[in-house]
Amino acid sequence: MAQPFRVSDLAGIQVRPARLWTHSLSWILFVAGIALYAHFSIVRHRENPEDRVIPSATQMIHGLKASVLEPAEEDDPLDPGATLFQQVRHSMIWKDTASSARRFFTALLLLVPAMLIGLHMAVFPYVGAFFLLFVLFFDKIVALSLLPILFIVFGIDEWSKIMLMVIGVAPTLMLDTYNIAGGVPKEQVVKAFTLKSTNLDVAYRIVLKQVLPQLINSVRLNLKPLALFLFAGEMIASTDGLAYRIAIMRRHMGMDIIIPYLLWVALLLFSLDALLRFTNRRLHPWYQPL
Amino acid sequence: MVSAALRLVDAVAAQAAPQRTEIELRDVSVSYSAGKEGSKTVLSKLNLKVGAGEFVVILGETGCGKSTLLRLILGQEFPTEGVIEVDGKPVMSIDARCGYVPQKYSLFPDRTVLGNVMYGPENAKSRFLARFRPSFFAYRRKLRVEAQAYLVRMGLRPQDMNKYPHQLSGGMQQRVAIAQALLMHPPVLLLDEAFSALDPSTRASLQEQLQGVWQESKPTVVFVTHNTSEALSLGTRLILLRRHHEDLAGETNLVLDMEIPRSSLPLSMRVKSLEFQELLEHVRQLAYESSSLHTDDSESDSSVEEGTLA
Repeated sequence: MAQPFRVSDLAGIQVRPARLWTHSLSWILFVAGIALYAHFSIVRHRENPEDRVIPSATQMIHGLKASVLEPAEEDDPLDPGATLFQQVRHSMIWKDTASSARRFFTALLLLVPAMLIGLHMAVFPYVGAFFLLFVLFFDKIVALSLLPILFIVFGIDEWSKIMLMVIGVAPTLMLDTYNIAGGVPKEQVVKAFTLKSTNLDVAYRIVLKQVLPQLINSVRLNLKPLALFLFAGEMIASTDGLAYRIAIMRRHMGMDIIIPYLLWVALLLFSLDALLRFTNRRLHPWYQPL
Repeated sequence: MVSAALRLVDAVAAQAAPQRTEIELRDVSVSYSAGKEGSKTVLSKLNLKVGAGEFVVILGETGCGKSTLLRLILGQEFPTEGVIEVDGKPVMSIDARCGYVPQKYSLFPDRTVLGNVMYGPENAKSRFLARFRPSFFAYRRKLRVEAQAYLVRMGLRPQDMNKYPHQLSGGMQQRVAIAQALLMHPPVLLLDEAFSALDPSTRASLQEQLQGVWQESKPTVVFVTHNTSEALSLGTRLILLRRHHEDLAGETNLVLDMEIPRSSLPLSMRVKSLEFQELLEHVRQLAYESSSLHTDDSESDSSVEEGTLA
């Protein structure tokens, strides 16, 4: 039976908050953030009703409406009789999200071989000897400093931005995979060989299967760096994408667009993270995180 | 249903009686580099011949090279000097003729109990695309029945078959690990302190089961333990090792190699007999003289005997 709440529990380590407490506490900072924003917005709008630095709720709704239902400035205006679906389909936020998502998922796909290299580095000692030092060194290169080289090599369109993401995150993922796969107990590998496994069986059916949940977690942790490199690329050289729009809006002081965009990006990453976490739990019911 | 399953196991065991395998170690020494201190010798000038169907128990204090010896036979490590042969052929890599049960991490955590036990035979039967043939599915169905029968025999309940290893107790996990190794019908079975992390009653029950399996199909068993009572009650032969010291340079660290007198008594009764107790005292004395084995051994021994009697 749950213990009644005492104030001293707030500083206790060996306490188990009731579900209601957990849920209530986790929303407090959101509510506080919104309240603070509203407060400062009201104060600034009292001084200047046209203030654009902290847009009011009305301005924000207008901005949101413009993002979700109207095409971007550079696009042709939509037929006035267009359906809601057509409006959303040709909206600014849809176009930007689609462009950014295309780059993001292409980079994510290209990171799969990087993880496989990390796996091979851990399982096959010669592969490890071949790659390890180079990857360790490469990992220390600040990916953004490679941007000029990438622009020269790949041009300023899609591939330079995708490669920036891949080069920025791949060494970390490779090393992470290498460490995780290297942590599989030796006994498991020996046991697998006594059960007539081949080298590839051990690599893919024993080690990879065991470390897959941790690799998915590693990808989850790298979603933000991946988005960071995407934003860097899009802000510097792009004609569409979420970060491009934020950069453009900054010039116009369009906080009513920038803030919904920021929240949208955070929501997208949060949802992707939640999806990966859910998938991981469903696919690997045996996984017992430490 | 259980009795039908057991009959099936007996039939399969008789059908797949493992071929006899002899293990031979000649002048085997193992040294590791120990940085500034030069090298550390773990095994020195070890000569050993394990006959086919023997149940050899290797006993000794921590650091005397028991597990190293097992890894050498398995092909996981190689000697600095000397030769190891299984069935007349030098051991060059991990030998799939050996069944292996380590103390921990013996099961694949991502597979269910049945998945763990069926993994080896499935591998042995066919690879990659051949697993999509109808004949493989038929084989799998047959194997499933055999695996279930083995597991029932090892004391698992039908409802445990689809559990993951983390959902089982340590004792249950070791039962599955033994079944996993046995289903491959290995001519050599290597157990590395396989029961040392278990409670006395589980340990006693697993000892009985291992004895039963060995008596039935007589694989060559090499069992590493630091528990004298367990060693004497299970094996047909005892190898006592001591830790290698500087002043033993050039000498073997084999202290004792003796046949353990057989008894027709069941395992639980055997440990209570006077002969057994005298032998136990004798081996403990030897172990005491050659090392500091007595300190932790006496504690674990008493617990095992309690378990065996329970």
